[in-house]
Amino acid sequence: MFRLMRNIHLGLGLVFVLMAMIFAVSSLVIIYRPLLGVSPEKSERTVQLSEQAAAGGPRAAARELMENEGFRGELRQIQEDGDKVSFRIFRPGEGVLVEYSPASRQAKVERTRHGALETMVQLHVNHGFWHDYGPSNIWALIGFLASVGLLLLGVTGIYLWWVGKTDRAVGSVLVSFSLVFGAVCLYLTRLQQ
Amino acid sequence: MRTKALYHWTKKIHTWAGLLTFSAFVVWGVTGIHAVFLPAAGEFTPPPVSSVREMAFQAPGDLDDQELSQAIFEAAEIPLAGGRYNVHRDENLNLAFNVFTINGGRELTYYEDRGVVEIAHRKNSLWSYFSSMHTAHSNRHQLVPAASAWGYFNEMATWAFLFMTISGVYMWIATRPFLTWARLSLAGMALLMLVLWIVIR
Repeated sequence: MFRLMRNIHLGLGLVFVLMAMIFAVSSLVIIYRPLLGVSPEKSERTVQLSEQAAAGGPRAAARELMENEGFRGELRQIQEDGDKVSFRIFRPGEGVLVEYSPASRQAKVERTRHGALETMVQLHVNHGFWHDYGPSNIWALIGFLASVGLLLLGVTGIYLWWVGKTDRAVGSVLVSFSLVFGAVCLYLTRLQQ
Repeated sequence: MRTKALYHWTKKIHTWAGLLTFSAFVVWGVTGIHAVFLPAAGEFTPPPVSSVREMAFQAPGDLDDQELSQAIFEAAEIPLAGGRYNVHRDENLNLAFNVFTINGGRELTYYEDRGVVEIAHRKNSLWSYFSSMHTAHSNRHQLVPAASAWGYFNEMATWAFLFMTISGVYMWIATRPFLTWARLSLAGMALLMLVLWIVIR
């Protein structure tokens, strides 16, 4: 049993170590963002849409831009207001905001490209399997499995510590503190309605 | 001798760090699993209104909407308020805005003719509450001692988590580096994530 638990702990740790690092590093980026001064690269240009794309609605316009300009991701936040249409093409690490007029066929394209750290933040919050952009679904699946893995790592880790018989006194104090402290803080905060 | 001591202390601290931060791990793990079931972008619907209360309020006549919403926000003393947003006029031209809290949002509407602020609370689920608490850190959710304490603890747990990922790999290399299944597991996932990273970049 000890050997099995040890191998499960090792296996889960190695399979999810990189995703765990993405979660950890991105969390620290979120916490210390003001100190890090990370800022994205932004560019803006105007593109002429074809007649078919301009008249075909936002999905047609988005498809043409994806094919001709190389934008990748999923289509989001379509908004139409008179002769102004806007939408976003999004994937973790990059977002493109498009505003165009079907009448003039002029599309203003603002591209925001994030660095590695901010991309990790966007992978951290990426969730669910509803994405039109396939890789986002795969990242979300890895994130989900890593979350399950995290719980199993905790449980197997506790087993290994207890069966290992070293530091039982110190360990008991630490895990008891963690559970009591966590429960009390979460309970008291939840009472603040 | 030094390597043995390094391994010994790394293992000890890895274990202690895991035991100390176990409650944070539980909150993070539960949040990550729950996130799968969240609605897609643009499909979020707020929870139903759980309670409504009214507060008497007389506004000075010379405040604009932003200033007035700030004055109402301060007078309302909403527990764990994380700031106000979406200041606007509703369909009846009453000033309205939203307040974020860890325990669910508030919608405030000021009925100026009656001198009353209506505060509707949309209490969030326990899962959403955990999700909010998993984001707590030293510069956030600082509004009551329990939330502040959890924020510091959560931040410390994040550093501990990073340490445990690195120390875990070290301990594997120091003890059983030639395990084929372990190497294949790490290599397989690393390759998949590298490909995915290149694809999205």
